[in-house]
Amino acid sequence: MNWINKLQTIDRRIIYILLLVVCAIPLVKPLGVPLQVTDMTRDVYDIIEGLEPEKDVVLLSFDYAPGAGLDAHIVPVAVVEHLAQRGIKWVSVSFNPEGPMMADLIIKDLESRGFKYGIDFANLGYLAGQETAIRLFALDCLTITTDTRGNKTTDLPVMQGIKTAKDFAFVHQFTSDDPAMWIRQAVDPMGLRYAVGIVTVSVPSAMPYYNSGQIKGLLGGLKAAAEYETLLGKPGRAVAMMDAQSMAHLLIIGFIFLGNLGYFLGKKQGK
Amino acid sequence: MRKEVPMLITFVVAIIVMLSSITTGPLPDVFKNHISPWMTIVSAFAVGLASVNLTRVHGQKISRKRDGWVYSLILLGSMFFYGIFRSYIEINPSNMAAAENYALCYNHILSPLSSGIWACLAFYVASSSYRAFRARSMEATILLVSAVVVMLGAAPIGAQIWSKFPAVQRWLMNVPNMTGQRGIIIGAAIGSFVTALRVLLGIERGHLGGTQ
Amino acid sequence: MSLVEGNIFGFWMFIVISVVAVWIMTQSKNGKFKVTLRRINGLEALEEAVGRATEMGKPVHYTPGLGDIVDNKAAETFAAMEILTYVADLSAKYSAELIVTIRQPNVFPLAQESVKQSFVAAGKPDMYQENTVRFISSNQDAYTSGVVGILHREQAAANIMAGLFMGESLLLAEAGAQIGAMQIAITASTTQLPFFVAACDYTIIGEELFAAGAYVSQDKVKMGGIAAQDYIKLAVMAVIVLGTILSTSGSDFIRVLLTK
Repeated sequence: MNWINKLQTIDRRIIYILLLVVCAIPLVKPLGVPLQVTDMTRDVYDIIEGLEPEKDVVLLSFDYAPGAGLDAHIVPVAVVEHLAQRGIKWVSVSFNPEGPMMADLIIKDLESRGFKYGIDFANLGYLAGQETAIRLFALDCLTITTDTRGNKTTDLPVMQGIKTAKDFAFVHQFTSDDPAMWIRQAVDPMGLRYAVGIVTVSVPSAMPYYNSGQIKGLLGGLKAAAEYETLLGKPGRAVAMMDAQSMAHLLIIGFIFLGNLGYFLGKKQGK
Repeated sequence: MRKEVPMLITFVVAIIVMLSSITTGPLPDVFKNHISPWMTIVSAFAVGLASVNLTRVHGQKISRKRDGWVYSLILLGSMFFYGIFRSYIEINPSNMAAAENYALCYNHILSPLSSGIWACLAFYVASSSYRAFRARSMEATILLVSAVVVMLGAAPIGAQIWSKFPAVQRWLMNVPNMTGQRGIIIGAAIGSFVTALRVLLGIERGHLGGTQ
Repeated sequence: MSLVEGNIFGFWMFIVISVVAVWIMTQSKNGKFKVTLRRINGLEALEEAVGRATEMGKPVHYTPGLGDIVDNKAAETFAAMEILTYVADLSAKYSAELIVTIRQPNVFPLAQESVKQSFVAAGKPDMYQENTVRFISSNQDAYTSGVVGILHREQAAANIMAGLFMGESLLLAEAGAQIGAMQIAITASTTQLPFFVAACDYTIIGEELFAAGAYVSQDKVKMGGIAAQDYIKLAVMAVIVLGTILSTSGSDFIRVLLTK
């Protein structure tokens, strides 16, 4: 029957249009689907909750480019919000050439809210050399002599007392790539307390390190950011987008079901 | 000597780079002060060579007005515009207005274009899943069921349909998926090591030109 | 000069494994060690893909992935270059048009040289054109959109993707599926495997990427390297089993040794 064949060969444009519609509706009118917070997200939250505002400084490693999309960028937004809420100082460094720009986007927003560059946070910029650069920086943080605004690193109040990566209370990397570089070069050799924010598709590659305890917390993309917003008590963009994701998943499953229905009915008819 | 000299350089530099990351002493400084700058210089020349190729290929297309020559014109125009603009900023770092305008171009042209490409991924996942996930065999059925369970477990709606979906999804990701991934990662790491050893020792010479 | 704490065991393992690997490769070269590789369907299909392109009068598209040759994923790119040489040889043999798209500027001259040499060796130097090997962009997004555009405009009959891939894998594979190209993916990027499996006709996984060069050339030394890989893997498995038993019985010996 023609309609059985049609079930197996639905025009992809129909799929695309329907997907666009089901993703757009929750963004305009959120559905409010409740979110379960996972242990991986809660671990990062608990670490930051346990930090001391006057004493501890956190190192954030921005190792993703704009091309990684909102899935990568929304995680540091949530983490930095938590750090700002608790008054924890932080310093950013990047081993991806476009990383400093991503950090600057967050810094600009904080400065507009009254936080002070150099005192509450600083952006040390990009250090070339990938894995070797990570090791270099971990052993001597002053290897970067000036920050992205031309200030001497040693003159920044937030960098006082910081010589090696061990002087940071906590290291959090945001990456769209492999967290193993930080683990190999700094986390394991120096015993750093380290967590990673990673894009959703790379979460399985980071799981072995989380399960073995080398990564103390793992924030996997949009869902983790939504969970973090829930923990902060400030549901925002990420939570709204999870509704869109829920609808998209249901639609895809629906189409998979239709395709298989057509397949089995067609097979039965063929017999 | 055409192949022997590059092979010798490869061997010596590779040993220095390897030892510089695991030893104390003079080698880390040798890497940082001598080898790393050379890598940057060679990469810069490679970028130049690639840009020349782009200019020649697209320039020919424009001059012969082949199909789509307008896009080639836009490509070359954008490439030279960004290249010249960025070079100006590097030469005049105190010109904050230029730097801000560059950031404007980046944030309002390049960044949204990047996001647009990645947005296509969602649509491609949908059409690809619809086409590929058919229960044609036992393995295909297992793939299909796992995909559906993981999709439902990953999204908040799954927990509303059945409260155990997230737990099943986590088990699938942490146990069978992790098992397979670890095996592949270990195998690939060993494969990388032996391939690197072959390049180091000059057994692998495909990159120096020539057939198998 | 001394070894940094945490790297001592790794360094000595590097020495031991290198000696073992070189010994096995030497034995294989001298014919004292016979190595046979099991059949890998995806690699056998490379010739079929190029032949299909020739019959249809459409080009073969090849990409050696997004990796560079100066980072920690360089081995995957070198393996992809080996496969490129083989695909170029096949293209020359069957007189199929070949389009190679490159992301990394460092890889570009190597790819040019490999393809040119293959065509020259086959006695068909005229097959190599300026736009046979095309540098697209070092920006991942621009590269992806460029390749998708090429696939759609040129209507490639075969799409071969080998090497390191990241998030753009499905974009490339789905574009190839939309134009009805025969697709072969060869990668060790575990996060991209599901997308390739869903969209490609053949997917070659993990270390088979590194075995490809030996498989297609049947070179004795390279095949010895594959055998060395397998023996090293056996040793790793033995350490894992021993470590599991010791850890379960309360001994930290293996863990401490590995972190020395």
